[in-house]
Amino acid sequence: MKDNLPDKDGFFGEYGGKFVPETLMYALNELEQTYKTLKDNNDFNAEFHRDLAEFVGRPSPLYFAKRLTENYNTASIWLKREDLNHTGAHKINNTVGQILLAKYMGKKRIIAETGAGQHGVATATVAARLGLDCHIYMGSEDVRRQSLNVYRMKLLGAEVHEVNSGSATLKDALNEALRDWVTNIEDTYYIIGSVTGPHPYPMIVRDFNAVVGYELIDQSQESFGRMPDSIIACVGGGSNAMGIFYPFIKMDNVELIGVEAAGKGIETGEHAAPLNDGTPGVLHGAKSYLMQDESGQVKGTASISAGLDYPGVGPEHSWLKDIKRAKYVAVSDDEVMKAFHMVNKMEGILPALETAHAFAYLDELMPNMNKDQHIVINVSGRGDKDLNSVVEIEDIKL
Amino acid sequence: MKRIEKKLKELSQDNQKAFVGYIVAGDPDLETSLQLMHLSVDSGVDILEIGVPFTDPIAEGPTIQQAHDRSLENETNLQKIIDLICKFREKDTNTPIILMGYINNFLMYKDLINRSHELGVDGVLVVDIPGELSLEDYGIDNQDLDIISLVSPTTSKERVKEIVKNSTGFIYYVTLRGVTGSSNLDGNEIEQNIKYIKSISSIPVMAGFGIKNSDDAKLLSSFSDGIVIGSSIVELIYKNSENKDFHEVSDYISNMKDAIR
Ligand SMILES: Cc1ncc(COP(=O)(O)O)c(C=O)c1O
Repeated sequence: MKDNLPDKDGFFGEYGGKFVPETLMYALNELEQTYKTLKDNNDFNAEFHRDLAEFVGRPSPLYFAKRLTENYNTASIWLKREDLNHTGAHKINNTVGQILLAKYMGKKRIIAETGAGQHGVATATVAARLGLDCHIYMGSEDVRRQSLNVYRMKLLGAEVHEVNSGSATLKDALNEALRDWVTNIEDTYYIIGSVTGPHPYPMIVRDFNAVVGYELIDQSQESFGRMPDSIIACVGGGSNAMGIFYPFIKMDNVELIGVEAAGKGIETGEHAAPLNDGTPGVLHGAKSYLMQDESGQVKGTASISAGLDYPGVGPEHSWLKDIKRAKYVAVSDDEVMKAFHMVNKMEGILPALETAHAFAYLDELMPNMNKDQHIVINVSGRGDKDLNSVVEIEDIKL
Repeated sequence: MKRIEKKLKELSQDNQKAFVGYIVAGDPDLETSLQLMHLSVDSGVDILEIGVPFTDPIAEGPTIQQAHDRSLENETNLQKIIDLICKFREKDTNTPIILMGYINNFLMYKDLINRSHELGVDGVLVVDIPGELSLEDYGIDNQDLDIISLVSPTTSKERVKEIVKNSTGFIYYVTLRGVTGSSNLDGNEIEQNIKYIKSISSIPVMAGFGIKNSDDAKLLSSFSDGIVIGSSIVELIYKNSENKDFHEVSDYISNMKDAIR
């Protein structure tokens, strides 16, 4: 099944578009043309799927979470194990795809922004494999809290540029990556890390991540003989959620639930939940829900997880929210830490703090489910990168 | 006749090039901005481009970004900027004023922007709305306001045609690939591209981004109708904000004006 959105101008309903400085228009149009020709090209697709199988290790398993299921004692809980991918998160699906686009376009220099560092690592990885010059922009606050990933990127040969402007997090890293791109437009490919940014990025990143959802269709059929009742994923920019949701959008019986970061609590204003507590606005080239004040200035965010600490969200999620096809909820830092420990103890799985947001919604969801139902959680990534943060948050002496 | 058109006509009748000067409203504070607007005009600026600060100005280099941040610390917003322009108009009704900023701020003040011409604004330049799009589609619709668009070295010829059709006042030709305040001007390329715009339209073309010294200014003004200078002025304002003695700004502007005569 194929959806026909975005439209030719890159809109999902009123959201999306290409709101960029003039210099970038050429590069976006070039990318759009290239993608249009390649996406149905057999050689391109064969190469993409071969890399996903042999380099990433796909398909990722659909795993029955026995003890979690027993704990809630209602629906069966299944885990889509993106944490088992090479480099430890769903982010690699997108970078494997985009680096192929870069290769077909003959670009020699790769840039990316990163929050948690997972996208930075995934980008540095694919760039290393092709021997391409790689530059990663990362907010200095994130460099501090995700230092293990910074070292990994350097090991992979990437240059990590610390960004001190604004709030020194993901939003500012994206600003800086866009500025680099404006400056080095001809030889540089920008691998954006989520379903955000100007058209055609939200579409391209979604399409490369949709492999997760397509696999889930087959695996659900094999594992429990039908489609899931609910699919739950955390939402930062929204790429892991969009990837697993996308093939199910037209299946009305499948409930789609995105979990945003409520940080210290939605009511405190210190959070990163634009779909729960934002208004439509334009940031980083697209119109979407946005955390902003009444003058149109983008607000600061707060979240325990660097990968969700972003005031905007991919435009397709804004559209899914407005047409009520997906539901967006939010969980607080405290609830996330509780879920983080629960998943470790009960399933022997160390989830990323981003991913722990999806698990944290179980407390609210599960009491309303039935025993014969099946829910799937997208385990977007593993939490090794977060150990330093957790040690700091819980004031643990090692 | 609209103020921008009138000013550009007068200059060209005198065989002169236009000097468009950019400052960020509210840096270091709004009161000083008023003083700096008059000072700029007295020193040789023909058209004022007033930067509307935004938290995420992706087309700006560090100098102008930091000016946006400083201004936002004073809680500058579009309402206060329009008030500033009203005050400026009490003493100066000749100098055209353009608001330059990002769509997200303009969207929050649509009604005010649509009334802004009566309040003294002559044009708007929305950095992140590509020139072939119409601002009307975003609720910004006032025939009296000139819609200034950017054309860059990477703009295709087909798109230049569309952009020129949608623009009034003048075309702002971005002289380099990069953000504001970069360097590396390629005189040949700039000349060719401005010639192309002139071959398909009679709209005036200003050249800007990356102009630092009088040699740059002289070179670029030789193929355009005028030049835009931003980062260098903003930098000098910052340097002298502490004691608020802006004679360096004034000297810089007069030197640049002399260079393009
Ligand atoms: C493991 C993991 N999950 C989720 C995210 C959030 O991104 P998205 O919402 O695009 O999936 C990140 C981002 O860094 C991540 O590392």
